This record gives sequence, structure tokens and C-alpha cells, in this order.
Amino acid sequence: MTTIARTPRRVSTVGRFGRWFRTTGWRHVIAVVLCLFALLPITYVVSASLNPTGTLTGSNQLFKTVGLDSYQRLLTSDQFPFMTWFKNSLIVGLTTAVLSVFLGALAAYAFSRMRFSGRRTGLLTIVLIQMFPQLLAVVAIFLLLGQIGAIFPSIGLNTHAGLIMVYLGAALGVNTYLMYGFFNTVPVAIDEAAKIDGAGHARIFFRIILRLVAPILAVVALLSFIGSMNDFVIASVVLVDPEQQTLAVGLYRMVSNPNYADWSAFAAGAVMASVPVVVLFLFLQKYIVGGLTAGAVK
Amino acid sequence: MRMTKKSLAAGALLVGAGLLLSACSSSEDPTTSSSPTDTGAETPTTSLTVWVDAERADALSQAATDYEAQTGIKVEIVARDNSTLKDDFIQQANSGSGPDVVMGAHDWLGELTTNGVIAPLELGDKAGDFLPVALDASTYDGTVYELPYAVENLALLRNADLVPEPATSYDDMIAKGKAAGAEFPFVVEQGESGNPYHLYPFQTAFGAPVFGKDANGAYDPTQLTLGDGTAFAEWLSTQGVKGSKNMSTEITGDIAKEKFTSGDAAFWLTGPWNVNAAVEAGINVAVDPIASPGPDAAQPFAGVKGFFVNQYSDNKVAANDFLVNYIGTEDVQVALFKSGGVLPALKAAADSVSSDPLVAGFKAAGDQAVPMPAIPAMGKVWEYWGIAQAAILNGEDPDSTWAKLTDDVAAAIAAG
Amino acid sequence: MNTLLTARKSDRVEFGSAGRVGPLVLKIVLLATLDAALLFAISVLLGRGNYGALALVAVGGLAINWVYLSKRTLPAKYLTPGLTFLAIFQVFIILYTVYIAFTNYSTGHILNKSQAIEALLSQSQSRVPDSAEYPVTIVEVGGDLGMLVTAPDGTAMLGTAADPLETVDASMSDGKAVSTEGATSLTFAEVLQRQEEIFALAVPVSDDPNDGSLRTLDGRNAYQYTSNLVYDEEADTLTNTDTGVVYTDGGHGAFVAEDGTEILPGWQVNVGFENFQRAFSEDSIRGPLVYVTAWTFVFAFLSMILTFGLGLFVALVLSHPRMRGLRFYRIIMVLPYAFPAFLGAMVWSGMLSTSFGFVNQVLLGGASIPWLTDPTLAKVAVLTVNLWLGFPYMFLVSMGALQSIPEEVTEAATTDGASPWQLFRRIKLPLLLVSMAPILISTFAFNFNNFNVIYLVTGGGPRDTSAGIPVGHTDILISMVYKVAFTGQQRDYGLASAFSIIIFVLVAVISIISFRRTRSLEDIH
Repeated sequence: MTTIARTPRRVSTVGRFGRWFRTTGWRHVIAVVLCLFALLPITYVVSASLNPTGTLTGSNQLFKTVGLDSYQRLLTSDQFPFMTWFKNSLIVGLTTAVLSVFLGALAAYAFSRMRFSGRRTGLLTIVLIQMFPQLLAVVAIFLLLGQIGAIFPSIGLNTHAGLIMVYLGAALGVNTYLMYGFFNTVPVAIDEAAKIDGAGHARIFFRIILRLVAPILAVVALLSFIGSMNDFVIASVVLVDPEQQTLAVGLYRMVSNPNYADWSAFAAGAVMASVPVVVLFLFLQKYIVGGLTAGAVK
Repeated sequence: MRMTKKSLAAGALLVGAGLLLSACSSSEDPTTSSSPTDTGAETPTTSLTVWVDAERADALSQAATDYEAQTGIKVEIVARDNSTLKDDFIQQANSGSGPDVVMGAHDWLGELTTNGVIAPLELGDKAGDFLPVALDASTYDGTVYELPYAVENLALLRNADLVPEPATSYDDMIAKGKAAGAEFPFVVEQGESGNPYHLYPFQTAFGAPVFGKDANGAYDPTQLTLGDGTAFAEWLSTQGVKGSKNMSTEITGDIAKEKFTSGDAAFWLTGPWNVNAAVEAGINVAVDPIASPGPDAAQPFAGVKGFFVNQYSDNKVAANDFLVNYIGTEDVQVALFKSGGVLPALKAAADSVSSDPLVAGFKAAGDQAVPMPAIPAMGKVWEYWGIAQAAILNGEDPDSTWAKLTDDVAAAIAAG
Repeated sequence: MNTLLTARKSDRVEFGSAGRVGPLVLKIVLLATLDAALLFAISVLLGRGNYGALALVAVGGLAINWVYLSKRTLPAKYLTPGLTFLAIFQVFIILYTVYIAFTNYSTGHILNKSQAIEALLSQSQSRVPDSAEYPVTIVEVGGDLGMLVTAPDGTAMLGTAADPLETVDASMSDGKAVSTEGATSLTFAEVLQRQEEIFALAVPVSDDPNDGSLRTLDGRNAYQYTSNLVYDEEADTLTNTDTGVVYTDGGHGAFVAEDGTEILPGWQVNVGFENFQRAFSEDSIRGPLVYVTAWTFVFAFLSMILTFGLGLFVALVLSHPRMRGLRFYRIIMVLPYAFPAFLGAMVWSGMLSTSFGFVNQVLLGGASIPWLTDPTLAKVAVLTVNLWLGFPYMFLVSMGALQSIPEEVTEAATTDGASPWQLFRRIKLPLLLVSMAPILISTFAFNFNNFNVIYLVTGGGPRDTSAGIPVGHTDILISMVYKVAFTGQQRDYGLASAFSIIIFVLVAVISIISFRRTRSLEDIH
């Protein structure tokens, strides 16, 4: 009895497995392989962070010693005000992300919805400007902020506001083009319908369009945040006080002298620094791939 | 029509508001560094900005507080990124936002004086209080520009548990290492482009320093003695892939450190910055002078770390006072030693910390040390030197490679 | 449509005239604050005589006001905030780089002329070898600064810049003369107030100029100095009093002798197109130039294609809504981007070590593949690392861009019987390419100048030992430029700027051509 009853079940299990594999199973296989590729160096970093006296790439025995000393050292050290750096990075990163998205969206809306001379050239120019080699960027920014700071000290050198302004200089660029493309997929009919009801251009922009392009706004916000979290070249020339510095600058300084590099603490810092990025990604994910937008268009 | 009037109204409001606000704010003076304080009798405080290596910032901050208590001069320590410190200083020194004092190494002297960004110092009678090698290195073209605080040189670290006795020569060292059963009798940091700094003691052991010296004892760019290094080159090729494989361009600093601290290597040619790592790993470390593989003694490079005064500083008197009369004293030199672990440049301080056998070991190895040349011509040497050595270690013919090296360097120096 | 209609009906109340005042007030307040700040800045710049910056601020301010007050400048109202920041920061960098490319800003030419003269004179001061140490008290005599010194034999002497040292009676304290009649002694605090003057103070030792002067560097001790360089301001010459050689301004930012020897430090001068000429005629890069340029193009193009391919692939694989663990997988895919790039590159560099690396030792079971030292494999290594670094970016962007493909189109195709692969190739991919074309072009441009990855993984190596400069087989144009311009102790920013501009022009031309071609795609959409 059991045998007879079991056989059809077994066949259907195999059948179900086969179907599952064909629709999503193969995706899992590929995803796992790619995850290994993505995680390999990161595993090294995590292992180094748990090995308080070890080197970064001196040994292949991952996780030889496991200890949280480096994390502890980093969080409680006076020499490295880790939590201050963390806070600074979050402030600068989030502000830059929000403002970059806002400025970019404003520009993308104008390029997408309005017809004016120099529209196409303008877009192209913006992207080209971003391509200019940044060889002398450090010196130029130093001179510029020095001048600005002489008049308005609160937005000059060694201020977060100054650094954010420099990052906003890069807000209009290829991301704008990306948003422009996405804006173009929102039918003009929606704008027109709203105009008939007496909505001004600002209303249309803020109330309607922005919600419809949420995925690309979320992507640009995340990219902008990551960009400013990881930047240390510009940040290290602007922020000089350890109390003002961001995570990237502070961590990088820990290893800039190869003879005194504390790789374990640095790795621990890098691991902790990746947390806000992951959290932000999780939070924005639902906007990036949300099905809400497709419905709203209808 | 309505819109235009509204715009005009808005415009008028704007201008009015703008003027009002600007009138209020223009009564404030844009602040400069010496704004009058409330009590008119008080004189403004002089403030020195000092750029330091991130690692030394802490040690110096205590000294800064003490100095302020003594003299009333405020010292602001700014920790900078070590890899860009020199270039940033050169570019910013004359901008008005540059530091008053900058921390660096003596081999920067050529570049700093060529760019005209540092001012001479006067050590006065204190000059004799410093170790001769420190004073020698701090002088460029007959003038003293640097206040030295540490003398750094390589030495031979030995795992005393594996090898209880120091080595008498290079070959003896290898033999002892092998007899002890270590996987690597000897490790030295190299890397794909070579590391001539670490191999210099072996090069001098074969009688080939880079430059000869002129009548004043300074390095002479017209006397390129690098070409005498053929014997060294030949010996080097016996240590590489074609020979005993004692050295390899694949061994990075990390790998060398890993091998010694895990007990796989018996001898490690490295500097004072790595001693702590070995001690903390539980190795019984002994520090010996570098074992010579050739007819002469092995003379490593000495790197003298110190402070420079910015030529365009407004506070040169305070800067000189801070450096010569304060940093040049025993207590401060010892304090800096405590944070960095490198032998102090002041004789009295060096003696007082040499009770530690490890420090004494570096000091003994340093007795043979020669300052790295700071002249601009040295920059040309570094470009080709490491690559040639790496090529020899990887099997290229030593004679022709070394001859090409000498030719390339001579041509580059001649080209200016 | 229904949802929107309902929304509109409820919003109708807000679209009334009552809502119009709020934004207007906000606009006035913002603009007024900005104007106040600008006027303040103008007043400060006026006070400093900085007319160039003043003009810029004034013009910029007027432009912004016009944009927001005029009725006809609607697009500008949206573009101005972003463009302002772009103009101030990015465009300034471009202008500055162009400016530097036309000067000789390099090692030895960092200063301006008066600073160079100051530095030369300062360096030429040498202490007379057997000069004694004179404890000094700085005094003021009749309005001039002077030095009250104690000679080694205990006598006190007084002198000013104009009057050589003379013996005087002075009150001593601990063997040091501290005050004398007719002169006011300065406290240390007062000395600090007048540091610059005191540093420059030189008191002649006697009437004979060859005896030199007394100078003090720290305000406490003075020494006897002579200088062997004299600057004649009228003739604009430097004379070396020891050798008698006269140096004149050579016009190239340095003093030169008749036989052509230059003394440094020099100063920064405009050199016209010289840097650009040198860039094109530089001998040392002739040899490697061709293969480095070829590799740069290959590297940039492959990096773009590979990262786009992998990123898009991952986005598609992880796009099935019913797949479990989507969030988890996606986070892992983003992780490489969340860590600092240089850390990842350094770890890869260590992992690829031939004898000690993880890849050879652990993954390939003890193989000895020369990933970083073989010219071809090094290129593969660099591309792989760049792929690892860059695919998360493409993954994120693809995820976003995929959302812009309207579902109706996908559904229509599926009901027509299209297979997933056909759906992708015929519909999704073209639509994606249209919206992502600029990203691809920009990624190409970015990787064309991606100096960091090359430097951190291979350092440009393995080295081409036959070349005259330290160039290697994975060097791209920009890293080779750095090696030419920044060698040893020489930093030639002017030359490097000229090179970068030339490279930029090259990249810009390619980008413009690519944009034009993708424009036709856009029109279809």
C-alpha cells in the first residue's frame, strides 16, 4: 500500500523539482557561483579583521585566529575616533545623496520635459565635463575652498558643508543622463492631464513625476552615498581635523605608511563601514524593484 | 500684467532684504588669525601649526601641551596622510595656508631646497649633542635645515629560540638558519620591483656605495660609484632563482613578516617598525648587526627623521624656538621614541633608551649606517635600481643588467 | 488612470490660488538670503582688492537672480542649482588644469618670483664657522629693533640694523644682558608679535660688511652670519659674492648665469604651448606609446563590456519575483562596491601572487601560474579585478533601468509566444541599451583613465626592461604619463596637465561620436 502510494508522489516530487529547477533553481546555482566570486576577497578582509596581529595578505590560512580585539581596539581607541568618523561619514554621505538626487532630478526633469535650445548639447556637455582628468583636482579644490573659506569660514576648508558642496559639483553628470532616460519613459500624457487640472510645473514635478521615477532615484541615491563614503582623496584635502574626518580618510591614514600599517584594525573598520551601505541598500531595494511604480503608470 | 507687477514687487523685496542683511553682516569683521579679544590688554596668542605623520600625532600632542604651558605658544598638531605629506607640503607651503613646521625625513632635503620651501635652522652649540649621523644627514649644502628626532636603520632580527648565537657572516647566517630547521633561513622584503633600500647593506659589503663624497663630505652627483657593483650583482644572482633562492621578488613585506612571526624564518632583515609585531607574536627576538656577505662591512642606509620650518611661515621665531629649544631636548626625544620605537637622534636620549637590548641592537647595527643621499640625482637612481635588482634575482645576467643600470642612471642624471 | 483621476480630484483643492503664496514666499526668502550672502562676499572681496573673484561673484549672482525672477527662464530654474555647483567646482578644476598646462609649474618652479628670491637669500645665509653663540635680548631703540647681545667674554653689546655692534653697559641676569639704557627690552610675548621683523633683523657685526651680521632665529640666541648672495633689485640680478658670478632672470622662471647654469628654486611662469610641444615630441615615450595606447583602448572597452555583461546578467538572474533569498543574494552582489576599492585591489594583488597567493596555492592546488608577472596573464588579472570592482555598479544601474521597461511591452511579447531569450534579445536589450548608452560611454571613459586599479594590482608591470622609462605591460596612457612627469624627485605638473588634456580630448572625441550614434537609437524610442 505504501509503495503504491509512494510511487506517484516520488514521480511528482521529481517533476516538481524539475520545474522548480527550470524556473528558479538554475538561478540559484548561478547566484551561488557568483556569490563565491564576489565574496572571495571579502572573506580575506573579514579574516584579517579577526586576526589582531596578522597581516593582510601574508598568509593563506584564513580564520587562523579568531578574535574581536581589532574591533574592540578600533571602537575604543583614542587615537582613532572611529565613532566620530562614522557619524561624520553618515552625515556627509546622506546629505550628499539626498541633495545629489534632488539636483539631478531637477535637471533631468528639465531636459526631459522642456524644449529649449542647447538641450542635447547640454546633456552631452555635462557628461563630458565629468570625464575630465582629476589630476589637479586636489590642488584646485584646496585653493578654491581656501578662498571661499576666507569669506565664509563655515563652508570652507575643514568643514562638512564645504566637502558636501564639492561632491555636489559632481551631482550633474552621467547620473543625470540616467535619470533623464528614465524620465522619458513616463508618458507626457500624465503631465498634460495634470496641467489641465491647473497644476503648475513644480506641482507636477514634486507630486507626480518623482514618485513615478522612484527606482532610478533610489539607485542614484545609493550610488551617490557609496561614492561619498568611499572617497578619501577629496575628503582628505578638505577635512584636516581628525574630529571632522570621514571614515574613508581616517581608515586610509591607518595604513598609508606601509611600515606602520595596522591592517587588522583597518579591515575591521572597513567591515563596519560597509554596514551602512548594506542597510541603505536594503532600505532602498523596495523602491528599486517595487512593483508599485508599474501600477501607478497605469 | 499681474505677474509682472508681482515680479517687480518680489524684486524690490529682494533687494531691500538683501541690502538690509548685508548691512548687518558687514559690521562683522571677517575674522583673521589675530582678532582682538575682549580684554584689550591681552596680546593675541601665537599659534604654530605642525604637520605630522599620523603615527606620531599622539606623542607630539603631549609635548605640544607642555610647550604651551611653558611658553604660551599654542601648538596645533595636524595628522596628515604619510603618502602625500611631502607633496602636499611642497604645493601648499607658499599659499598662506601651509603649516609652520612639517615632520619628514632627511632624504627630502634635496627636493625641499630645490623648491625653496624650507628655511635654515640654527642648532648652535646643540649641534654637538646629536648623533653624528643625524647631524650629517640634517645638513644639506653646508646648511642645517632639519631638527632630527630619530635615526632609523635596518638590522638583522634573529629568532633566538631557533638560533641562539648571532651569525658571523652571511653564509654563516644561512647555515645556522638551515641547521635550525627553519623553512626560510633568511627573509628580506622584496616585491616585484625589487627593494634596493633593503639590499643596500649587501651592496656596500661589496664596496659599491651609490655616490662618492666630495671634499665637504657631501654626496657628489658627479661621482657615480654605482658601477662598482658588479661583484655585488654577481653575488645577488646566486641568491635568486638561479641559485640558492634565499631571496625572491615574490616575498612582500607582509609575507616576510608572516614567516618570521610564525617561526618559519630564522633571520629577518628589517627595520625597527617591525620589532613589536615579532615580540607580540611570542618570538624570542634578538637584534644583530647585519651579517656581511662580502669583503667590507654591511652598511645599511640611515634614515633620519626630523622637523623642517616652512620658509613662508609667519612664525619662524616661534618655530625655531619650538624645534631647537624644545624638541631638541632629551625628554621630548625620549617621548617620541616611546611612540615610534626608533632610536632618538639626541645622544643623551639615545643612550638612555639603549638599556633595552632590542634598541641597543639597532643602535649597534646603526653604527655602520650611512645617510641616504638626499641630492636630486638620487631620485634618478631609485627609478632604475630596484628593477635591475629584481631582474637579476629572477635570472637575468648580472653583469649586463648592472652595466645597463649604471648607463641608464648616468644618462638620466646627465639629462638633468 | 482611475487612481490618478481620483488623486487629482482630491488634490484639486490644493491647486487653488491659496497654495500659490507659500512657494512665492519661500522663493523670496531663499533668494534674499542668497543675495545677502553674495553682497557680503562682494564687500569682502572689494576690501581685499580681489577684483577678478568679485566680478565672477557679481555676474553669477546677477544671473541667478535673473533666472529666478524672469518668467521666461523655466528650464533654467530647474537647471541652475546643479549647474551652479558644477560651474564652481568641476569647471573650475578644468580651468585650473588648463591654466597650469600653460605654465612651468613643476619641481623648482612652485613659488612666485619674490618668494623665490626670498628663499635663495635665506638659503645663502651661512653661519661663520667659528661664530660664537650670543645670548640675545631683543630691544627697541628709538623705534627700531635692535639686539642686546652678550659676547662670550661677558661684555654686552648693542646694535640695530643700521648701527653695528657697540659695547654698552647693561644689567645682567644669569650672565645674560637683559636691559640697557635708552632701549626697551621686549618680552618673549612681544617678540612673538613681531616675529617676521625679528627674523629678518640683521645687525652688522662691525663696519666691515665682510664680517657679516648677527641674526637670531629663535629669539634667544644670535649667531654671526654671512651671505654669499646679493640681490640687486634695480638690475634684477643675483650676484654670488664668493665666485663673482652674476645671475640674471632667464625668462624661464629661474636665475641663470652666463654659461647657462640655473639656480633653483625658481618660480612659476607662463610657457605658452611648450608643455604641449614636449608632450608630442617626448622621446622616451615613443617606443612604448603604441602598445600602451592599444592596451588602454582594449582595457577600457573590455572593462566596460565585461562589467556591463556581468552586471546585467546578475540583475536578470535575480529578477524572478518568486525566487527565495533574493534580498540576500543582492546584498552579496553589492558588497564588492561597499568596500574601498583600493582594499579590494590590494587583496586581489596578494591573492594572485605566484608562489604565495591564495588563488594558486589554495584554489588551484599549488599551481604556479604567474598571474602578475607574465605580460598576458597580468592583463587578464587586471581585467578580472576590474570586473570584480565594477560589476556591482552595473548591477545596480541595470536593476533600476530594467524597471523602466513598461510591463505591457513584456506582457505583449510573452502572449505573442516569445521565449525568454527572444524577449531579452529583441525587446529588453535594445531598450536597455538606449537608456544605458551614456553609462556605457561614461564607463569607457572612466576606465580609460583608471589609474588606480592598474597601480594597485600590478603597478603597471611586469616591467618592460627595454624601454627608457619604467613602463610596464599593463600600463595605460595615464599611468605612463605619471611615470614620465613624476620621476624621482621631479614633479612636472605642467607637463602632466598638458598630457591629461590631450588624453581628455581623445576620449571626448570618441564619446561624442558614440553619443551621436546612440542618438538614432533614442529617436526610435
